[in-house]
Amino acid sequence: MTDNAQNSDTEDDNWGVLGELPGDFMMWVLIASELLVFGAALLAFVAVRATDVTGFAADQQQLNQTAGAANTIVLVTSGFFAALAVSASAKFQKTRARVMLAAAMTLGLVFIGVKGIEYWQKAEAGIGLDSSPFFTFYYLITGFHAAHVIAGIVIFALVSYFDDKRNIETAAAFWHMVDLVWVILFPIIYLVR
Amino acid sequence: MALRTLTQAWITLVVLSVVTTGLTLVSEHGTSRKLLIAVILAIAAVKARIILTRYLNLSQSPFWTRVFDIIGTVFFALLYGIYLVGGAA
Repeated sequence: MTDNAQNSDTEDDNWGVLGELPGDFMMWVLIASELLVFGAALLAFVAVRATDVTGFAADQQQLNQTAGAANTIVLVTSGFFAALAVSASAKFQKTRARVMLAAAMTLGLVFIGVKGIEYWQKAEAGIGLDSSPFFTFYYLITGFHAAHVIAGIVIFALVSYFDDKRNIETAAAFWHMVDLVWVILFPIIYLVR
Repeated sequence: MALRTLTQAWITLVVLSVVTTGLTLVSEHGTSRKLLIAVILAIAAVKARIILTRYLNLSQSPFWTRVFDIIGTVFFALLYGIYLVGGAA
C-alpha cells in the first residue's frame, strides 16, 4: 500500500460513524439543523394550541385540507423523481438525470402554485399573519417551508447545469429534507384537532 | 438505491398519504378522536422514516437509522403528549 493510500484510509477511519452517513456530510448537518428548527416550531405550535384548543380548531377549519393533502402527494412524487435523478447520475445517464430533475422541479412549482392559491384564498377572506395565534404559526411555518421549496427548485436548476454526481446527490438530499418536513408539518397543522 | 426499492417507497408514501386524508373524513370526538390523531401521527412518522431510509438512503447505516428512529420516537411522543394535555377539540 502506498503512503497516499494509507493516508486516505486513515482519513476515512477518522470520520468514524460520521463516515457512514450517505452523501455530503455538511448536507446532513443542514438537514439536522432544519429538522431541529421545524421540530421546535411544531412543538411550540402544539403547546400554544393547548392554551386555546377551540380557537385553533375553528381556525384550522378554514384551511384547505384537500389542497394540503394534494401537495403532500405532489411533494413525495417530486422526491421520487429527485431520487431517480441521483440513481441516473450514478449510472452516468446525464440526460435521464436532467429529465428527472426537470420533473422534480415542475412538481415543486406545482406545490408552490397550490400554496399560493391557499394564501390567496386566505387573503381574500381577510386572514393574515396577525389574525390569530394559529394563523401566525400557519404563515410562519408554511411560509418558511415554501421558501425552502423555492430554494430547492433554484438548486435543482443549478445542478441541472453543473450536473456531476455529487452535486445532484447533495441537491436531492436538500429536497428530501424539504419533503420530510412537509410530511410531518402537514398533519400537525392541517389535521390535528 | 434500486429503482424497485424507490418505486415501492414512493407507492407506500402515496398510499399512506391517501389513508391519512381518508382518516380525516372520520369525525370522532373525545377518546376516539385522540386515538385517530395517534394513528395520523404514527403514519406521519412512518412516512418520515421511509423518506430518510429510502430517498435519503440512510438505511445503509444501521447506526444512523437507529439514531433517527430514537429522535423521531421522542419527538412524536412529545408532540402527542402535549396534544393530550390540550385535549381533542
